[in-house]
Amino acid sequence: MSSPILKAAHVSKHYNIGERRAVVLHNVSLELEPGEFAVISGASGSGKTTLLTILSGLDKPSNGRVWLADEDITDLDENGLAPLRNRLIGFVFQAFHLVPSLTSLENIMFPAELNRDPEASEKASHLLNRVGLWEQRDNRPEQLSGGEKQRVAICRALINNPRLVFADEPTGNLDSENSREVVELLLELQQEFNTTLLLATHSSAITDRADRILSLHDGRLVKNDIRP
Amino acid sequence: MMIHYRFLLEELRYGGKQVLTFVVCVALSIATLTALNSFRRDIHGSLIDEARALQGGDIIIHAHQPISEELEGTIDTLAQEQDFQQQSTLEFYTVALSEDKDTSLFSSIKAVESSYPFFGTIEIASGRKLGEVLKPGSVVVAQEVLERLDLAVGGLLNIGDVAFEIADVVTFESMRPVSFLTLGPRIFVSMADVDRLGLLGRGSRVEHEILIQLADPANADRLSETLSAVATPRVERVETAKNARSRVKVFFDNLLFFLSCISILTLMLSGIGMQGSLSAILYQKQNVIAVTKAFGASNRYLLIQYLAMVSFMGACGSVIGVIAGYLIKRLFPLLFRDLLPQDVGYAFHPVDALEGIVLGIFVVTVFTLLPLHRLGAVKPVMIFRHETGSEKPGAAPLLAGIICTVFLILLVVRQIDDLKIGIFFVIGLILLIGTVALAASASLWLLKRSTLPTLALRQSAKSLYRPGNASRSIVITLTSAISVLLLIFLLKLNLFATFIESYPENAPNLFCIDIQQDQKDLFQSVVGEEVVMFPVIRARLLSINNTMINAEQERQRKTDNLGREFNLTYRETLLEDEIISDGNSLFGDSKSLPSGVVALSVLDSIAEIGEIGLHDRLRFNIQGVEIDAQVTSIRSRTKSRLYPFFYFVFDSGTLEAAPQTFFAAMHLPKSLIPDMITAITAQLPNVSTINVADMADRFGQLMKRLSVIVTFFASFSIMAGCLILVSTIFATRLDRIKETVYYKVLGADSSIVLRILSYEHAMLAFLSSLMAVLFAEAAAWLICRNVFDIAYHPHWHVAALTVLSSIILLVLIGLASSVGIIRQRPAVYLQQQNSV
Ligand SMILES: Nc1ncnc2c1ncn2[C@@H]1O[C@H](COP(=O)(O)OP(=O)(O)OP(=O)(O)O)[C@@H](O)[C@H]1O
Ligand SMILES: [Mg+2]
Repeated sequence: MSSPILKAAHVSKHYNIGERRAVVLHNVSLELEPGEFAVISGASGSGKTTLLTILSGLDKPSNGRVWLADEDITDLDENGLAPLRNRLIGFVFQAFHLVPSLTSLENIMFPAELNRDPEASEKASHLLNRVGLWEQRDNRPEQLSGGEKQRVAICRALINNPRLVFADEPTGNLDSENSREVVELLLELQQEFNTTLLLATHSSAITDRADRILSLHDGRLVKNDIRP
Repeated sequence: MMIHYRFLLEELRYGGKQVLTFVVCVALSIATLTALNSFRRDIHGSLIDEARALQGGDIIIHAHQPISEELEGTIDTLAQEQDFQQQSTLEFYTVALSEDKDTSLFSSIKAVESSYPFFGTIEIASGRKLGEVLKPGSVVVAQEVLERLDLAVGGLLNIGDVAFEIADVVTFESMRPVSFLTLGPRIFVSMADVDRLGLLGRGSRVEHEILIQLADPANADRLSETLSAVATPRVERVETAKNARSRVKVFFDNLLFFLSCISILTLMLSGIGMQGSLSAILYQKQNVIAVTKAFGASNRYLLIQYLAMVSFMGACGSVIGVIAGYLIKRLFPLLFRDLLPQDVGYAFHPVDALEGIVLGIFVVTVFTLLPLHRLGAVKPVMIFRHETGSEKPGAAPLLAGIICTVFLILLVVRQIDDLKIGIFFVIGLILLIGTVALAASASLWLLKRSTLPTLALRQSAKSLYRPGNASRSIVITLTSAISVLLLIFLLKLNLFATFIESYPENAPNLFCIDIQQDQKDLFQSVVGEEVVMFPVIRARLLSINNTMINAEQERQRKTDNLGREFNLTYRETLLEDEIISDGNSLFGDSKSLPSGVVALSVLDSIAEIGEIGLHDRLRFNIQGVEIDAQVTSIRSRTKSRLYPFFYFVFDSGTLEAAPQTFFAAMHLPKSLIPDMITAITAQLPNVSTINVADMADRFGQLMKRLSVIVTFFASFSIMAGCLILVSTIFATRLDRIKETVYYKVLGADSSIVLRILSYEHAMLAFLSSLMAVLFAEAAAWLICRNVFDIAYHPHWHVAALTVLSSIILLVLIGLASSVGIIRQRPAVYLQQQNSV
């Protein structure tokens, strides 16, 4: 068996709110295999987003360690993380987080341009076509619908062909029709690019299709099942 | 409705740097004006408001030659009829000598009658009255005379051939409250001694004055009109105390005018800063405001809360501003030293503080109208569609603009007391801002269309067009601010460069005038070496091409006027520092002139003033004899303006018969000048010597002092300008932080993030300062050419420095406002973005 693409060992996270300490994640350990589609499920406030941000290096754990593709990222500084975020990882957020000053095409191109990819423009155009938004290539995020924004965000996450994509409630802001489309797209592209997908969601419809289900309850990992 | 104090406190705490910026802007806007207005009241109160004390009479008759018998007769008759008092004075500069004639001092002699003055005060060291002390044969002198000539009260002092006993020391003269505008210290002599002083040859350099004291000052205007009708036009000037120009008053009025303009600019810039920082505070709170509204808070409720907040900040700012004004005023004695007598108040009165506070209230009101109005435009729907920032501006900005304009006009009018200039000032500013707005749009449009080579550059350029961006208004604000600041400096540099010209090494530094025809040989032998002496013939210009010179109009000129008495000369050759700029030779072909018309060479500077060209016909009155001359050449000078020069040069032969004196200019080592003056004065008491080197030094010092004062005031404008930078950058900080977080999530490292941030600010600064340089240079050029009539130097290095420092400053501020995100993991910021 190949080595895990993502590994977390005894990860905890707490916040200090005044005198009080709120423990949000308790001693979470997990591993993901390359190409897996894993879902983090759990009630609201159970710590899904917190776990995702820590695993992806957007935040630091209070305790424990995180490895991405065998590299310990726990203590990496921001400059150390930058190339990982650019090439190894893709992100899709519930709130889209597209760069407001850039058009759809430019938003998608941006990570490739950072990576000095000479084919940035071609790749982005191809992806835009692929998700059926070529007509909207010059629209700014404010000129796109929620579903369109999320499709652009997915293209942006995939343009550098990352080995891992993190998605936090990617359908949280969308209606059911759009949600379905976005999920289909994500899964299709995951297959196509052969990436690992770690997705946090409430939706059982998505959970049903996952290779692995991670369940959080009050910050504890209560279930880590691989589906047959 | 009630004010929610906890809310207020929270807002103030949350506002942080923006609240501070706002308060400092308020303080800055009123600090210099408060100090300046307090100072103006001091000066007016103690120096220049009491017109009669400044002039010495209700009516003043002034001439550069003895008052005509006709006028004197009329005054005598009317004095009998209308029962008023009159007295005469004479004033001139001459060199006084010590008791043994071994040291000399260029002094200002004033001959007065025992009743002098009718109004105002002359303070004498012994405490007695001038009239009691000053007897024929005695003098009352300024302390400086005693010190420089090493004399004491009771000792002897020589003026011309006459020895006077020093009776007392004069400590203050209300007609001459400051000494820096005069060339030498005062010596009072009795009118009875005037004949002994030998004024022969001093010509028009003696000022003759008659002072009149009326029983009822209300009659002044009528009497002055009656006397004017009798007075010799252009020679005798009749003025009432109220209308008379006083050099002191003119000087301080001009200085206060200039400083007021700078202070008003400071106020405006701070006002813009205020507006910017308040907008930033409200922008940061936009979501909170929207949510509060969604929960049913009325616009009125919110408005009252923020009004309370603004009032609180405004009050703090005003109090700090008044305290700052007080502190600034404490610096004035240092700043204005040598310019004002020791006993000018420099006090800070309650009314000064009150004025500051009232001004603060107005400024805060006017400049917070727009941001507060926008509160109403925040719609609850913004919570849901956060990224749409497309609100229609409506009429509010226009209205706010009009209110600002009206306020500024009122302020300018009140401050500089001149409606016309006030309106020009404000129209100029509006034009500037309008043009800047157009230019800003154009340059941003160009930038949008240009293709930039690197990702960071492209990205930062795109950031300027982010939805809801404020780039245009930032560029407009910055350009306007930088251009007015640069304009002040360019004007200052050009004005002072014209006047603080260091005295040329080999230029003549000792001028001797009034050498009589029969004294030429004696003079030559006293001086020892060969000196060139120029004949001087005093005359008036009557007409140019048969158009009479209008004396009244001429007096309005800021430049030299054609109505005054001129010194003509005659010679055959050009001076060393002269070239012919128009015409073939100095006097052309004299045969071509009509008979009775003589050849004349005119200096270009006066030719420009009088619009005199080649072949024009000028008529002069030379002490009663009229003479027609035709311009045969225009001369230019190639060296310093401090070289002696003659406007009108005639061919030798034409004026030799006219009454004339001689003028000599020589160059001596500086240290030998005083002894030479002493020697000349001892032997030729009627010859006036002028130590030009010394005068240039004094003038240079005065100019440097003024330059320091102007720089001091302008530095507050610069501070306000910097605050504008800070507030505009902070106002749009959240947008930048958001983008920066996104860049990082997508894998941008700190170097590229820093580059994008720096380039964005550098672009704004570069665009703004570049346009500002163009505007300021153009405006300064126009003003120097058309208002001050001086040569213009663009001082490109200053312009380059302005661009450079704007870029550095803006980049630093920009980085400081958002660099915190670079080192931190983005989760926190993302969560903030999510939560709203
Ligand atoms: N910055 C913070 N400071 C304090 N507590 C926090 C902070 N961020 C999150 N929490 C707490 O951590 C817990 C987990 O939050 P998290 O956002 O991870 O939940 P979640 O599972 O993603 O919920 P949801 O499904 O609603 O998105 C919550 O109880 C929240 O109150
Ligand atoms: Mg969540």
